[in-house]
Amino acid sequence: MSAERALRIGVGGPVGSGKSSLIAALCRELGSSARIGVVTNDIYTTEDAEFLRSTGVLEEDRIVAVQTGCCPHTAIRDDITTNLEAVADLELATGPLDIVFVESGGDNLTAIFSPALADAQIFVIDVAGGDDVPRKGGPGIARADLLVINKVDLAPHVGSDVERMIRESQARRGALPVEAVSLVRPAGAAAVARWALGRLEELSALGHVHSSVAGGTEPHHHHVH
Amino acid sequence: MMMRVLGMLLADGRLPTGSYAHSLGLEQAVSDGLGAAGLSDFVAARLALVAEPEARIAVAARRAACAEGAGGALSVDDEFCARCPSPALRDSSRRLGAALLRCAAGVWPAASLLDGYRAASAATPRPVALGVVAAAIGIDDGELAALAIYDDAATVASAALKLLPLDPAHASRWVAELAPWIEDAARLVALDTRPLAAQPAPAALGLELAAAVHHDRRERLFVS
Repeated sequence: MSAERALRIGVGGPVGSGKSSLIAALCRELGSSARIGVVTNDIYTTEDAEFLRSTGVLEEDRIVAVQTGCCPHTAIRDDITTNLEAVADLELATGPLDIVFVESGGDNLTAIFSPALADAQIFVIDVAGGDDVPRKGGPGIARADLLVINKVDLAPHVGSDVERMIRESQARRGALPVEAVSLVRPAGAAAVARWALGRLEELSALGHVHSSVAGGTEPHHHHVH
Repeated sequence: MMMRVLGMLLADGRLPTGSYAHSLGLEQAVSDGLGAAGLSDFVAARLALVAEPEARIAVAARRAACAEGAGGALSVDDEFCARCPSPALRDSSRRLGAALLRCAAGVWPAASLLDGYRAASAATPRPVALGVVAAAIGIDDGELAALAIYDDAATVASAALKLLPLDPAHASRWVAELAPWIEDAARLVALDTRPLAAQPAPAALGLELAAAVHHDRRERLFVS
């Protein structure tokens, strides 16, 4: 594998669980310390890409949309060619990047990334989708490198038991990490950002990817208050 | 025998070349009122007006690449662009060609012709890319022309299953019914030794205009 490429982190999960919002929050957390790009895989044309552009967290040309022929599963898992092309084109257009987040089209619990596309993958679920989702399991719940349980601020309002979700996730995942987050809280994505920087450090130390992020896994927190 | 298997590999929808995201104009045609009954006419019209002319470009690219290397194929890029005025169609062909070349470069890492053309071409039209791949791996004109035309029909047939309520076998039946025509057309293309400029180059104006409308639609499933 060439060292002249960015770390690719896949972000998958059901519709509405907060994948795009998590990526926007990660861009805010990491934007000052790492060069970031985003590739979205949409059901239609460019919905998620437009949402991310509208948040203003990244230069517009750092965000590109892949069209999937209504097959976001296929595009991230079976035939990843178009995504690899999109990442390569992105780096060609913007110069070298440290991290490219590849967002899957909102899908059900079975969508996971090919390990050839994503060096590491995050699976995002939320408390409002039902607190029995971790117990039901599936490849994203059990095998993603990081499981994010989003919208924990809503738990009391939707009758979900966050502790149970964490416990049942851990039972499925062994030693793999679980983060319960609320992106409406200040620095809500900080733990996920630290995890992402950890992966970047790990893979650049192995010579798999390049990185301009010098030392330390603490991102700058320039956005707080 | 080896050549036949490599041809099958290139024709196989399981080869990761991103073609599942293209309907080659069928999505817009269905939006504009084409029903299941008109599908075989649509495929046949594409074959006469798009697939066969593109097979000629693929064969010209193969011949140029065999004679002059990657630089020869680049001149066929210009011939393609001269025949394809639609920016939307040029762009979707560029995407398909780039994906094919990415895949082929991984399948045949020793084929320097692939790397040379891939590095030098900005347009990477699908038929030129296919011709360059054929030159790199030793597929002849006849097999290349059949492959180019078959691929067009099979891509439309596959997309049709996502757009219209059809028995999946029926979509493959149109392709099967067109098989004799595809083979005849491929034979004629392979036997035509005139320069590309002297060969037939019909225009599919309806498809070109529809491609521009499709490109600007928000809620479309397919790239093309």
